[in-house]
Amino acid sequence: MRNAILIAWREFAENAKTRGFWFGILLFPMIWIIGAQVPAFLAKKGTPTRNFVLVDRTGRMGSVVEAALERDEQRRQGEAFREWASARMLAGRSLPAFKGEFDLGRALGEVRPLLRTNVGNFEAPSPRFRRVGPPPGVSIEGDLNAVEGELRGWLREGRSYVPADGRAPVSLFAAVLILEGKTSNAAPVLRFWSENQADTALREKIENALSTDFRLREYVRLGIDSKVVSRVENARAEVVNLSPRKAAGEERVGIADLLRQWAPSAFVYLLWVAVFSIAQMLLNSVIEEKSNRIIEVLLSSVTPVELMAGKLLGIGAVGLVMVGSWIGTLFLVGFWMAGSASAAGAATGGASGLPMELMTLLGDSWILPAFALYFLLGYVLYSAVILAIGSTCNTIKEAQNYMGVIVLLMMVPLVAMTFIPRDPNGPIATFLSWIPPYTPFVMMNRVTAGPPMRDVLGTLVLLVACDVLAIWTCGRIFRSAVMRTGQPASMAQMWRWVRGL
Amino acid sequence: MSHAVELESVSKRYGDFRAVDGLSLSVPEGCIYGVLGPNGAGKTTTLRMILGVVEPTSGRVSVLGQGSAMSVRERVGYLPEEKGLYRKMKASAVIAYFATLKGMSRRHAELRAHELLDRHGLGLFAGVKTEALSKGMGQKVQVLASIAHDPELVILDEPFSGLDPVNQGVLEEIVRDLKVRGRTVLLSTHVMAHAERLCDRVVIISGGRSLFDGTLEEARRVVPAKVRIRTTDSLEALQDLPLLRELRSLGDGRWEFELEEGADPQAVLEACFANHVRLSHFSATEATLHDAFVRMVGPAAREASYR
Repeated sequence: MRNAILIAWREFAENAKTRGFWFGILLFPMIWIIGAQVPAFLAKKGTPTRNFVLVDRTGRMGSVVEAALERDEQRRQGEAFREWASARMLAGRSLPAFKGEFDLGRALGEVRPLLRTNVGNFEAPSPRFRRVGPPPGVSIEGDLNAVEGELRGWLREGRSYVPADGRAPVSLFAAVLILEGKTSNAAPVLRFWSENQADTALREKIENALSTDFRLREYVRLGIDSKVVSRVENARAEVVNLSPRKAAGEERVGIADLLRQWAPSAFVYLLWVAVFSIAQMLLNSVIEEKSNRIIEVLLSSVTPVELMAGKLLGIGAVGLVMVGSWIGTLFLVGFWMAGSASAAGAATGGASGLPMELMTLLGDSWILPAFALYFLLGYVLYSAVILAIGSTCNTIKEAQNYMGVIVLLMMVPLVAMTFIPRDPNGPIATFLSWIPPYTPFVMMNRVTAGPPMRDVLGTLVLLVACDVLAIWTCGRIFRSAVMRTGQPASMAQMWRWVRGL
Repeated sequence: MSHAVELESVSKRYGDFRAVDGLSLSVPEGCIYGVLGPNGAGKTTTLRMILGVVEPTSGRVSVLGQGSAMSVRERVGYLPEEKGLYRKMKASAVIAYFATLKGMSRRHAELRAHELLDRHGLGLFAGVKTEALSKGMGQKVQVLASIAHDPELVILDEPFSGLDPVNQGVLEEIVRDLKVRGRTVLLSTHVMAHAERLCDRVVIISGGRSLFDGTLEEARRVVPAKVRIRTTDSLEALQDLPLLRELRSLGDGRWEFELEEGADPQAVLEACFANHVRLSHFSATEATLHDAFVRMVGPAAREASYR
């Protein structure tokens, strides 16, 4: 036992020194931070102002489009301002609700007394879309085909120019042509030219503006009260989402219930990454000792069983630390977000308590204990198999052949993760639960859905039995194979080892 | 005299292949014992069986009075044939780690590691990762790791391979030092010069069988002594010398006498005087271990199909 612990300690210390370990520890926090911050950052800074040329052949739609874009821009500025201001409020003060159209000057005047001193100035974000004058030498009055032909050239070459009404050079994102409809009562036609077909925001906004305007005018023309229409159009059937499994009076399904349904998937993924990355460490560790023959010195000092136990313990501890750090980060980020969300919630009057709900869910449900249990049981199963594989191979390359099969088999729970939450106690989920290599992942996925006790205990007993069997079988292979050099063992050879021949 | 290691008709089969075939040997305590043999003779397998790393198919192994080296592993040190270290560990940490596996306390092992590195001129490299060491240094570190726990029995498999002559000399010093301190050293090699300088006793194995087991002196005696003379006189009178095995003419008046085992070359000289053979040249060559080895193993080694 002393030797197993010595080996475990070395494995732990050496693996904890590797870059891979620290990368693993920092990876998840980084993904979370990036996942939370980058889209917001990109939305703010990433998308440059899109310049477009507008050719309006209807004579009226140009101003409609510009007014719509302007309203949109005001709303954006308002949001940016609110975000800026709410982070700089005096303690105990909350942001007033701005009514009507947003006006930066008025809003600043209202809010300034509530802000801390020395907060600096609000920097309005640059506009998303800007109508610019046509490139020099392009007349937008002439024949449509000729206009389009010229604009097309500018768009394709992406050349920048200084428009007649501007100072800074711009490059065109799109050319927008609005034509009369085919018949007198038809909606206008939007011809949208752009190299970038992925960013559809501008096209959609213009399309909406044109459609809305056309509809309104049609209602007027047909003598229909547009207010009535809008009221009718906005009518929705009232939906109350209820769950029979909840106590009377609390049947209403809220965000917490959706979270309860989907949060386990995140933990399945965490489990998968954890098991897989430490399995890789284990493989490397065995192969290192095999390939440079340290194994011989080790086996003259310790028994193969001690060696195997030491490796399982040491690298298992590495995995636990890694997973523990991920969950710790999750809690930290969760509490931090819950804190700022409740402050923001109080400020805006709305409730964005998602992180709060998540924390409550983690505190109340079986998620964390199940995660710990299934992590350990799953780790033992997979690592035993990987130790056996490692012991029969001399190089990582040889081992990759076997690992390919393992990875393929391990993909199943990852795929299943996407549909199990929809039917967590259905036949497929139940069936997969009873396959021991998948039990940890699939049962983890079902943990908040109240799976039948028969499934929980039955699969647990089966998994534990399978762990014991795997340790025993793989231990025999390990013992016989680990001293071998030369070709990797054949399946038949491994079977003989298992039978003790 | 008690024995540090005893093998009694030990065999190891891998499928149909007999790596070691009915080998018996005894290593007296406190001596340097060489296991000699050509490539593929079964040296490494023999050492592994002594260590208990490989189970013999049949036969009996006794190490330091125990039936298995595992029960006395704290008292045995081992340097395997293929040398390797944990690449990312520091030199001192590797030595200390292996010493703790042999039962030393961690603190004691670390002190001992530094002491050994200092004593063998590697003190500056104690904190260097082993991947940054030269091959010779790495091998020295590994030798130190195998003796850090001050074992009574040290088993070295091809310890000199891959070392330059200076470092081979250093290693020979370490081995002699072990003997001076009363330790038993069992080493395998196919370089006869090392065995000749170091070993008290040798076993020569080939094809898994023992061809010879005894002292160096006994080994050399297996090879007949040779005497070379140069004369213009007739040698007819010497043809019937009782100790003569073969007399060959090398041309130009030069002759070579191959003598019976144990014969004294001086007898040839005396016979020449007695028979009035005038000599312009006389030389007696003493057999080396190399000659003995080639003589014993040569035919077998050439016939053997190597792995």
